[in-house]
Amino acid sequence: MSIRFIRFISSRWTRLVLVASVVLGLQTTLFNDLRPFGVMAQVMVLFAACAGVIYGAEIGAVAGLIVGLMYDCVLTTPLGLASLVLGATALVAGAFPYFVRESSWWNKAIAVAVASAFGEILFPVAQALVGLGGWVQWRVIGVALIVALLNLFLAPLLMPVVRWTLKESLVG
Amino acid sequence: MSAISARRKRAIALLSLTSIILVTLDLQGSGSASVLRGTFGVFFRPIEGVTRVITRPVSNAWHGITHYNAVTKENDLLREKIAQQEGAAVAAAASVRLSQELLALNGLPTLAGINSVSAQVIGDSPSNYSQSVEINQGSDSGIKVGMPVMNAAGLVGKITKVFPRRSIVMLITDPEYALSVKVINNPEAASPIGDPEASASTSSTTTTTTTIPKPQATSNIPGFTPGTTTMPLTTVNVTVSIPSLTPTLTVPANGALPVRETGILEGRGSSRVPIVRFIDSAQRFGTILPGAPIVTSGGSLSLAPPDIVVGTVSKVTDRLGTAGPILEINLVADLTNLSFVRILLYQPITEQVKP
Repeated sequence: MSIRFIRFISSRWTRLVLVASVVLGLQTTLFNDLRPFGVMAQVMVLFAACAGVIYGAEIGAVAGLIVGLMYDCVLTTPLGLASLVLGATALVAGAFPYFVRESSWWNKAIAVAVASAFGEILFPVAQALVGLGGWVQWRVIGVALIVALLNLFLAPLLMPVVRWTLKESLVG
Repeated sequence: MSAISARRKRAIALLSLTSIILVTLDLQGSGSASVLRGTFGVFFRPIEGVTRVITRPVSNAWHGITHYNAVTKENDLLREKIAQQEGAAVAAAASVRLSQELLALNGLPTLAGINSVSAQVIGDSPSNYSQSVEINQGSDSGIKVGMPVMNAAGLVGKITKVFPRRSIVMLITDPEYALSVKVINNPEAASPIGDPEASASTSSTTTTTTTIPKPQATSNIPGFTPGTTTMPLTTVNVTVSIPSLTPTLTVPANGALPVRETGILEGRGSSRVPIVRFIDSAQRFGTILPGAPIVTSGGSLSLAPPDIVVGTVSKVTDRLGTAGPILEINLVADLTNLSFVRILLYQPITEQVKP
């Protein structure tokens, strides 16, 4: 029983929930206040995209769905919507390792930025699909570009955190 | 390895299905979504609080760098505005009081008769696609979903989610927001009847020319001519002043009184101003001019009581046929800088639960 409990506590998914709580705290406080060009940097989208780029589509998608579900709890959109969007974002980001075999930090950052832009466009589209229309506007393109640019600079900072968080074992 | 991959695929499918079920439940208004959010909030709020305290210096530094000039300019402008408005506010307060007394005297509802709760805005929505704020009062203070939220300037939005000690306010600019409003059209330049200045100019001066014929009869009495007047036998110019019969009471013409017409206000996101649709293009209403005030219309089905100030018309876009014009609105409340708000504990008759 205790071994199972220790295994559960030390698993990457438990670590993900704890680290994502702190990232979500940053999203709702610091990044909510700092809005360069009137657009909020989406660190939750960034987290999901980083997970996809570093660990591939499968782990990325699971991480995206979990992180998205946590994000959902602080949003006013229907519960589960951000989960699906971040899951899809991580899945798209997870295609990156298939295209680039030996990637450097900067082309991973570019892949994260592209996936972030995709996720940012997907969000209003998903809202429209469930009947919350009105957000699919031309402004979305501008928002996605700014989010991609911001995440391009933030990705090198968050990638080591994501790599550590989703590491299978902390030992070795 | 393939077993791990299959397990992960199952996990992805399970999580996706869970998300879809949650979306469905939340859209149906199920209470389970609120329970989940509430439970998550219990664990997350302390983390958020600590993060806010730690990151506040960074936020302050950022605002100091990016907004310093704007704040300085705004301060100067506000000082000037305060000086201008101090006098006007006293007169306005007296008028409002008088209006409320009159309404109360006639048994009509007023905003002063509705209880309210003050609250502090404690957070914005952490998304680029939602226009909402969080306040620090909830169901413990009597707040319910749908109640209107105002600040000192005017209407801000409505309550959409309520927790025991906090609530979510959907702002007017959210595309999901819709409310019945009245447009009070300013009377166009009407020609008043019986204007004292106008009536003065209607006093006419009539010149009558009377020719008195030369008398034919004669008399023996010296100096007396029978059948004649004492007037000399000349052409006389008589000037008669006829006073005007126009009443001095000013009666406004048909279009001079403010005309009210109802429409539906709709938010359009943060980057675009809200609009009012379904305004009747009736001739009686006249041409809507920019600057016409917009207030809530009230009514038994409306979630807001009547006559809360919403904004003024900034642009009128005419449409062909009976569609009526679309009005763009300048909101009176500054939604980008909300600190304190007031929640009117108002529920329409249709929403009130009978004991």
